[in-house]
Amino acid sequence: MNNIKVALAGQPNCGKSTIFNMVSGIEQHIANYPGVTVDKKTGFFKYGNYKIEMVDLPGTYSFSSYSLEERVAKEFILNETPEVIVNVIDASNIKRNLYLTFQLLEIGIPVVVVLNMMDVAKRREIEIDSKKISEMLNCPVIEATGAKGVGSKEIMKSIVDVATNKKSYEDFKINYEELEPHINSIEKKIQENTFHLNKRWLCIKLLEGDTTIIEYLKKDYPKIEEEIEKESKIFHEKYDKDFPSFLASIRYDSADIIYHNAIEDKKSGIETLTDKVDKIILNRFLALPILILLMFLVYQISIVWGYKLTDYTWPILASFKNFVIDILPQADLIDVPMITDLGVWMVNSANALMNYIPIFFILFALIAIMEDVGYMPRMAFILDKVFKRFGLHGQSTLPLVLGGAMVGGCAVPGVMATKGIADDRARMATIFSVPYMNCLAKVPFYTLLLGAFFKAQMAIMMFFISTVTLFVALIVAKLLTSTILKTRETAPFLMELPPYHLPTVKGVVIRAVQRVWIYIKKVVTIVLAVAIVLFALLQFPGIDETSKANFENDIEVALTKFDRATQSSSYYSEVDSKQKVSQLLNYYDSYRAKKMTLSSPEESKKVDEDFLQKNSIFFKFVKPLRDAEAKKINAALRKLSTDRKRVLRSIKNEKIENSLLGMAGRAIEPITKYAGFDWRINVAFLSSFAARESAVATLGSIYENNKADSMRAEEAMSLNSGYTPLHAAAIIIFMLLTPPCIATMIVVKMQTNSYKWMLFAIFFPVTLGIVLSSIVFSIGSYNNYTGVEAMTYFYFAIVFIALIVALFPNKNINWEGGIKPKISTK
Amino acid sequence: MNTNETKTLNLLKKGEKARVKKIHAKGKLLHKLLDMGFVNRVEIEVIREAPLYDPMQLKLHNYHLSVRKSEAMLVEIEDCK
Repeated sequence: MNNIKVALAGQPNCGKSTIFNMVSGIEQHIANYPGVTVDKKTGFFKYGNYKIEMVDLPGTYSFSSYSLEERVAKEFILNETPEVIVNVIDASNIKRNLYLTFQLLEIGIPVVVVLNMMDVAKRREIEIDSKKISEMLNCPVIEATGAKGVGSKEIMKSIVDVATNKKSYEDFKINYEELEPHINSIEKKIQENTFHLNKRWLCIKLLEGDTTIIEYLKKDYPKIEEEIEKESKIFHEKYDKDFPSFLASIRYDSADIIYHNAIEDKKSGIETLTDKVDKIILNRFLALPILILLMFLVYQISIVWGYKLTDYTWPILASFKNFVIDILPQADLIDVPMITDLGVWMVNSANALMNYIPIFFILFALIAIMEDVGYMPRMAFILDKVFKRFGLHGQSTLPLVLGGAMVGGCAVPGVMATKGIADDRARMATIFSVPYMNCLAKVPFYTLLLGAFFKAQMAIMMFFISTVTLFVALIVAKLLTSTILKTRETAPFLMELPPYHLPTVKGVVIRAVQRVWIYIKKVVTIVLAVAIVLFALLQFPGIDETSKANFENDIEVALTKFDRATQSSSYYSEVDSKQKVSQLLNYYDSYRAKKMTLSSPEESKKVDEDFLQKNSIFFKFVKPLRDAEAKKINAALRKLSTDRKRVLRSIKNEKIENSLLGMAGRAIEPITKYAGFDWRINVAFLSSFAARESAVATLGSIYENNKADSMRAEEAMSLNSGYTPLHAAAIIIFMLLTPPCIATMIVVKMQTNSYKWMLFAIFFPVTLGIVLSSIVFSIGSYNNYTGVEAMTYFYFAIVFIALIVALFPNKNINWEGGIKPKISTK
Repeated sequence: MNTNETKTLNLLKKGEKARVKKIHAKGKLLHKLLDMGFVNRVEIEVIREAPLYDPMQLKLHNYHLSVRKSEAMLVEIEDCK
């Protein structure tokens, strides 16, 4: 079977992805181009005897080297030499799309033009003579409607035809009139070379000042730059024009000629549906309320309802956990094998992240819909002015909302959503701002602290917590863009507002699945690696011999009690040895765990049957029904199970206290004491880095003591910790500012493509957090502020700073030129 | 009309039309503007300003584009004839 390599190119919003999905079916690979964060999508399909590999190039308006996408697209053509280029054109907007087509045709690789969205063109009564276009461009032109699957076969056929009849392919030439002598003169200079690429195209690119091509040719022609300079000077003196603008003008003029010959737009100038919708969506007074409403809906559907969906998916994860526990070696009373401990720990860490998959799937699907519909650039259009003040971009809106501009988002999709931001500096600033938003997993932690220390002022505290982070994020963005990100490239704000389109189900689902898959693959693997490290840090060096003996003594006492209580039962012979009791305990705990995850009576019955089959005598003790003798054992068993759990918990606490992480928590106490944190809080923060949910669990297990067994964690904490509300305020402030979790940091690494930035994203917020909470705590304790007072002062200080920094304008650099405002008189 | 005056795109009001006369930009911005269709003599219509008055929405070559005023300031225009 023969292979054909095809590049798929087109301007943004031409429906390139729908065409890609239409022809390539399900077999698709998505990866990054090496060294950059631009997506590389490859799809495969078969036609006749040919296997066709189609690479979806990033959407570009032009083929110069001025943006990352253009550079990636052009380097693909230069280095990978595809045999055919498929150029997708929006049939309802042919004129502008032809601008890219001309540049593709000039390259010298056979081109197949696909007129996509023919249905839209028909609806708008745009009559297109595709035969005529094909004659004028000297290449096949195919009519298609990607969203409805029309034109797939024809595209495949043309690709094969063109690839197999290469010889009959004729070069395409635009007559650049006054420019021709200059093209010829440069062409002569690079004559004796054997490039695989069209020489005329190289010359045109050279005159255009294309840096990639200049670098490419410099190796053989060191003087080429001077030559171009010379030609440019002559041209400028003769015509008072520069090459780039002249080339662009000619291309647009040529597009105009084709447009006038082959297209008849009967309804031109009549208001389209998009125009009507925009009148409402972009209305000065309605735009903001609509945007807020939409954001609220996205948030509600994905985060809130998605979270409810996890009620149904959680049992699946829980049964997975039970399954793992079943196959791991069983505990012998209080002697839990390390492999079991590790296994459970790993499953817990993985489950904490897998739990978010329904949320992510919905979220990614909604983003895909908004992208396809065309709302994204409009959102940026509405809010750009606000964000510009802080060095961000209109396109930063969505990442911030997803991160949790209201309470409880998730920074992972937020950071992932920064991908499309054109302005590199704003993109980086957004990546570092999103983790300040309130993530969903932090909420239980706040609730715990608010419940323990701020019962009366819960509402106002929650308001502070949920809004202060946005101001912090804006300040940080401003700070970073005017310091370390200062030299980053910014991009001019020129954004197309494409016509509204209905998204296709297939396209939305494919994109959502692909993004979720990337999350699972990259995030979960690395998170598990970190979980192992954390586990080790929490396990070693373990508890010493004396406490071990103490715990063993505790469990012996519990066993003796059990023995005494069960002696009178007629079943005593079943539980008269330590080994038997241990087995029964494990049987009981496993039964309880299984029962907890069930939702229907049928399932419950099934579990009963399973356990009855496993051990019919033990089952009597677990579910004694009316058997009085078994009931005795059941009562003692329950007591014993509770006792064992208590001892296990104490062991765990002591282990944490003595562990390396515990030592680390102690070691940083000298620094964190200024913020009022003791080692317990430190350990909770350190261990919760794998997943924020575990902060509550760690704190809970640290503060639980034997006497407070029946207490809720909040009460235990407020009683046992010796903290004041001011301590709690400092802890909350620190938690607000620390990055959400390791998964977020992995995504930061993915999006910035650098471990250095990832480390920065970890240490900068942590430092900021410790500094600010120390300031608040120190000033607070000096002045005897209450927790609420301290938080209020902190809040207004942050808001004030945000307003102040907004007054300093951000400078845009790296794209020179311009006239001074003073000559633009009216 | 006084021909010595230089009028730039950012000063156009909603619904007004003009033609591109010259682009006062270099390098990346110039290329971007050219690629987006700001070539000589092309007709541009201002559709609206954003709710916060910046950026502005333009129509040229039969498509819609949003441009910050700071960039629009670099496009010199003349009246349509």
